Amino acid sequence: MSHYEAPIRKPLVTGEKSYHDISVEIARPVEGKANKSWWIVFSISLIAFLWGLGCIVYTVSTGIGTWGLNKTIGWAWDITNFVWWVGIGHAGTLISAVLLLFRQKWRMAINRSAEAMTIFSVVQAGLFPIIHMGRPWLAYWVLPIPNPYGSLWVNFNSPLLWDVFAISTYLSVSLVFWRTGLLPDFAMLRDRAVKPFQKHIYGILSFGWSGRVKDWQRFEEVSLVLAGLATPLVLSVHTIVSFDFATSVIPGWHTTIFPPYFVAGAIFSGFAMVNTLLIIMRKVVSLEDYITVQHIELMNIVIMITGSIVGVAYITELFMAWYSGVEYEQYAFLNRATGPYAWAYWAMMTCNVFSPQFMWFPKLRRSIMFSFIISIVVNIGMWFERFVIIVTSLHRDFMPSAWTMFSPTFVDIGIYIGTIGFFFVLFLLYARTFPVIAQAEVKSIMKSSGEQYKKIREEQGDDAKLYKMPEQKPLPDFNKLIAEANSTDDTSDKNTKTD
Amino acid sequence: MNEENLNQDMSSEKKYWKSAEQLKENSPIVDALEQNEFVEHIPTDEFLGDKENLESSKTSRRDFLKYVGFSTAAASLAACEGPVIKSIPYVVQPERLVPGVSDYYATTIADGFDFGSLLVKTREGRPIKIESNKEATSMTAGKPRVHASVLSLYDINRLQNPMIDGKQSTWSAFNKEVKEKLDKTDKKIVLLTQTFASPSTDRLIQEFSEKFENVEHVVYDSVSETAVLDAFEQKYGIRALPNYDLSNAESIVGIGADFLGDWLGGGFDGAYSKSRVPQDGKMSKHFQFEANMTLSGANSDERFATKPSEQKHVLVEIYNQIVGRAASTNLSEKHQAAVKKAVKSLKKGGKNAVVLCGIDDVNAQLMALAINEALGSELTNLSNPRMIRQGDANKVSSLIKDMNSGHVGALLMCGVNPAYTLPNSDDFTTGLEKVNTVVDFALTMDETAKLSTYVGALPHYLESWGDVRLTYQDYSLVQPTIKPIFNTRNFQECLLDWTGNSKSYYDYIKSNFVESNEGVSWNATLHDGFYQSSDKFDTSDIDTSVAVSASKLLQSKAEGLELTLYTKSGLGDGQQANNPWLQEFPDPITRTSWDNYLTVSRSDADELGLTNDNVANGALNGSYANVTVGKTTLQNVPVYIQPGQAKGSVGLALGYGKKESIQEEMQVGVNAYPLYNNFNKVQEVKIEKASGTHEFACIQLHNTMMGRKDIIKETTLEIFNTKDKDYWNQTPQVSLDHQETPVDTPEVDLWNEFDRSIGHHFNLSIDLNACTGCGACVIACHSENNVPVVGKSEIRKSRDMHWLRIDRYYSSNETLAGDYDKKDNIKGLSSALSEFGELEKPSEENVEVVFQPVMCQHCNHAPCETVCPVAASAHGRQGQNHMTYNRCVGTRYCANNCPYKVRRFNWFRYNQNDEFDYHMNNDLGRMVLNPDVTVRARGVMEKCSMCIQMTQLTILEAKREGRPIKDGEFQTACSNACDNGAMVFGDINDKESVIAEKKEDDRTYYLLEYLGVKPNVFYHTKIRNTNEA
Repeated sequence: MSHYEAPIRKPLVTGEKSYHDISVEIARPVEGKANKSWWIVFSISLIAFLWGLGCIVYTVSTGIGTWGLNKTIGWAWDITNFVWWVGIGHAGTLISAVLLLFRQKWRMAINRSAEAMTIFSVVQAGLFPIIHMGRPWLAYWVLPIPNPYGSLWVNFNSPLLWDVFAISTYLSVSLVFWRTGLLPDFAMLRDRAVKPFQKHIYGILSFGWSGRVKDWQRFEEVSLVLAGLATPLVLSVHTIVSFDFATSVIPGWHTTIFPPYFVAGAIFSGFAMVNTLLIIMRKVVSLEDYITVQHIELMNIVIMITGSIVGVAYITELFMAWYSGVEYEQYAFLNRATGPYAWAYWAMMTCNVFSPQFMWFPKLRRSIMFSFIISIVVNIGMWFERFVIIVTSLHRDFMPSAWTMFSPTFVDIGIYIGTIGFFFVLFLLYARTFPVIAQAEVKSIMKSSGEQYKKIREEQGDDAKLYKMPEQKPLPDFNKLIAEANSTDDTSDKNTKTD
Repeated sequence: MNEENLNQDMSSEKKYWKSAEQLKENSPIVDALEQNEFVEHIPTDEFLGDKENLESSKTSRRDFLKYVGFSTAAASLAACEGPVIKSIPYVVQPERLVPGVSDYYATTIADGFDFGSLLVKTREGRPIKIESNKEATSMTAGKPRVHASVLSLYDINRLQNPMIDGKQSTWSAFNKEVKEKLDKTDKKIVLLTQTFASPSTDRLIQEFSEKFENVEHVVYDSVSETAVLDAFEQKYGIRALPNYDLSNAESIVGIGADFLGDWLGGGFDGAYSKSRVPQDGKMSKHFQFEANMTLSGANSDERFATKPSEQKHVLVEIYNQIVGRAASTNLSEKHQAAVKKAVKSLKKGGKNAVVLCGIDDVNAQLMALAINEALGSELTNLSNPRMIRQGDANKVSSLIKDMNSGHVGALLMCGVNPAYTLPNSDDFTTGLEKVNTVVDFALTMDETAKLSTYVGALPHYLESWGDVRLTYQDYSLVQPTIKPIFNTRNFQECLLDWTGNSKSYYDYIKSNFVESNEGVSWNATLHDGFYQSSDKFDTSDIDTSVAVSASKLLQSKAEGLELTLYTKSGLGDGQQANNPWLQEFPDPITRTSWDNYLTVSRSDADELGLTNDNVANGALNGSYANVTVGKTTLQNVPVYIQPGQAKGSVGLALGYGKKESIQEEMQVGVNAYPLYNNFNKVQEVKIEKASGTHEFACIQLHNTMMGRKDIIKETTLEIFNTKDKDYWNQTPQVSLDHQETPVDTPEVDLWNEFDRSIGHHFNLSIDLNACTGCGACVIACHSENNVPVVGKSEIRKSRDMHWLRIDRYYSSNETLAGDYDKKDNIKGLSSALSEFGELEKPSEENVEVVFQPVMCQHCNHAPCETVCPVAASAHGRQGQNHMTYNRCVGTRYCANNCPYKVRRFNWFRYNQNDEFDYHMNNDLGRMVLNPDVTVRARGVMEKCSMCIQMTQLTILEAKREGRPIKDGEFQTACSNACDNGAMVFGDINDKESVIAEKKEDDRTYYLLEYLGVKPNVFYHTKIRNTNEA
């Protein structure tokens, strides 16, 4: 894979890394002991997760009435959180599948963690459609399974049913894709493991990976096929999620612009979440050489572009409301921007449209601290986007007599925080047991994009040898050895020195 | 095939066959099967006979353990019991009682406040629903309170036994002791009772007075109509209330009289609505001068917010202009103009005009009678006055004096609760201590019963016999619909006992009836529930010399704020305060439940620093105020800022704040009776802000319609009469291929029409002119469909469960038409920003009000049906939108996608749950449940079903009887409860039906028609009579 790369491109792996260094550095968090900060963050996440779990148990055992919903606002934090988590998931698939198809090498340092993030966030997202049901124990009724109730079947007209298929397909494809990519890296861990238990586990996980050419060939083929499968999912999943709203009759939901707008928003929030996670991770497990400022900058550019797309979508919505001439549509958007939930709308606008514009400045988008702050701001903004769409559209729709407001209860908040806790529990466990960077892939771009090789090419031209032939040790003078063997015992020291 | 043939075929003898083999003659298989179970011989011997084989087979240790394990598991599994619900079948089934079939009984409510003829639906011996007796000649009782009274029968706080000194006792001991005490008494015996309006009771009390000398009967109405009674008695010589029939009204002027509410016992709304529906280009013109915003004011064409003191001037001015000058008045310019208009209209209306006056003053009432007389009003039905109020405030006052001075030896009370309802209840309580024997008959251990030595447990009216003379001519019977649930006895039965009469009260009523109405069948009357005698009240010798003193009326000068006490359509005088349906019933005007409050005008509120605010979840909070009348102060009365409240006036409802024998959840509101000085509902008050905020439970939080014409269409009578339908009721246009096309054009439709040509197709019509917003339908729906009660805190969270709601909108400008214009004229962003903001606020004093009943619209292209992932929301062949409760998983997507917001979610389990301790949480209360309707589980969606259990029953009955269904047979609970004719239900496939005709009416429109969801419920455009007389 050592394709030619223009010298002007910045190196993707910095530092004088040997292949062995990569293995060591990526295996380090798995092989070493967890540090104090890991334990602190893990404990906080676990507490949040357990608190959320308690809130879920309370909801399921008592009723949805424990949330702040009412007759007018049938969805609020539940579906907001659902869409938010699904959206976050999109970045992982986009990075690993779409960027693979486009042969973007910079994906390699981040795709593993981005995919892990995808899976963990889809797990969070998947929780909500189940627990938001009034009778979650009957959730399996949304699956088209043959049943003893006569000709009862699911309703294929319902976008919620499409969601079921979309999310489950998405989760399974992502999982398989991630799992496949992990094979050579698990094998690396297996080969390095010294304790039998770890060796055994990683042995199982690596499915008997041998590193033969045939293994690699199949690996590449499967990756390509799965990338091809996953790419349409990047677009379809959030398109279908947006149908939940777009196919309805509620002003503010009934909008044809939703599919592209939701997909752009999803990528926007997903990249922000990747930035949040990786900026911390590169520091904590010392992977600055792999996840470089260059990576962060590229992600910031994606954030800036998708943020701008989302901004255009917001403005288009306003324009369409005015242009449609439908009074309910017009009022819905007027109410969004100026009504009782205007604070949420303007929070969304500030976070999603204005804040990414700072990324036009190279200095800012290369600042790690600034990127981190913006990544958090963007995710707050994207949460508000869903809240604005769901709650402000519902709270004042057609019949003024039914207008009301929404206010969350501690259970609403608890479950949301719980999913964040659950997500971090999963991610932190992952960071301690999985190779967080696809080292096999990174090794494959060392020659083209590693800093030291780029330097060599710069110094010696493109045809420079990027490898050193191992130096042949001069053969020992056997005659001399024989002669010395015959001499006194204390000559042994000298022998080594001559080596 | 005609039906006769079909019936014959069906009745012919049938043969059943088991297999095709039987059709063959002499089949060997059939013969073989007659002898044996199987055709072929089963070779049991082959394996049972082979002993060697049997002996050699072994059961291994493992097999043995498997068998033991399996049988133990199976046995223990079988031992697990499901929850056992004990039900006792009829050992001997009562004759003529068919399980699953309802029986209807005609009876009468006469609780001293509400009177009316009604039908009671019973199932398996349990009364479960009240319906109005539509055949009755007067007072058909279509009030929310009456509909809800069936639930009061199953109140767990009812008295279950007679009590002596607070201990349970028996009736024999009770009667014996009371009789002994009565015999011994040498002082006065006083009967203090509600208005019974019962000829038999009157006679019985007469007999009682004869037996025990020195007996006085004081009738006490908690909400007094003494002024009207006195005036009528002075003028016409009979202590009765005037009766009005407004059905032919052309001009109605109401002065402080909420005649669509509880004024003179209510029940004028049915006839009123008739006059309000435009026919041949005519409808009545209604002016209302009032201080509080009432149902009457809300329905009027022109309402003038008028302080009580000004109302007197208005009345006198009308008197001046119609009857003759009585006194000079002092009216504002606005009111002068208003009176001028009203007088013009009254004069034009002539015999079809009437003035209805609610001022608690004999002079005022006499003047109103005089005005109507001068107008020659035929709307006042003098020959048949109402007998349903007999109370005399002066007698009650002197009784309390007598009690305090120790002149009363025994006080027998029935159906009254003076310790709660008297303004000077403290005087009463201290007086009570000086009375030797205190006997109280009550339904519950209320405030008065607590203070009484002897408490007789009264049966509910649905458990008792009785007779009522509702009006001079209309006689009505009370018959039990259930065996008394508790050990209760009527006051009348005890009177019989004490007077030594061995007759049962039933026999007494019957003989009394037969004696006084010769030739009238008792059985027929009992069956019908009513009887109208032809004996009219003789109005020939009217005392025309009664002096009217207008100057006396205008004498009192009001300073400061004027309070008008009123009763709510929900709780009324407070007798049924422990009825959760009524507590949760939203006030038609304020749409607030579970409370009473001081209604204050916006400008007065601003002046006093009183506020109403919405909190984060939208719920309403209000300031508290201390309300002082004379020396009495009510602390911490919640304040509600009421559009239409006359400046300088405030309002407060009676009937709240009851504590004794009231479940804790229902001990809401403040008791306003202490302010009801001299039984005058108008009082001068001082108001000051108190600390703290009150949490209201409002069902509707946004009060204006934001100028949305698609919701309520309205126009004026003039336009309606002169302009084309397209001018005032245009079908919404949508763009099709860039052409404006009416939305009901088939090409516009995305969906295919259902084939509706076969079977029934149900539609519901709602006439916004006939609907007064009374709310009877809301309770009827509640009761028919087992709608749960959720309590104040849940209502506050906007989680009411009503399947049918009556939206009330105020205009933001002085008229709704002004709102529409304002919205239409919005140009540009800045204008939109400011003017939509203004449209959110209701107008202050001059405000128009509209009511709109909204239930599931049963869309033919329902948005809820497409979005349900499990198809729990589905379309029916008869046009209904079905909700399959047991399929619902509760995603609430349907509710979100419902443009009318009529779907209700079971946020919690509302039955058998201590968190919701209302009637569905106790065995007695659950007896009111309709067995034909499922009680919904937690987590499922519910909504109006168009009473499918009722329509299916009608279909099945007609099918069984082999006849076509007549128009009018199909009913829903709401259409059946509507005495105003606002709701008409039926089958539009029956081209001759009323509903089919209504659908084609020019006034017909659909709610949010532009959406194209094609509802099966339609509305009739509201027409306002803005014509100058």
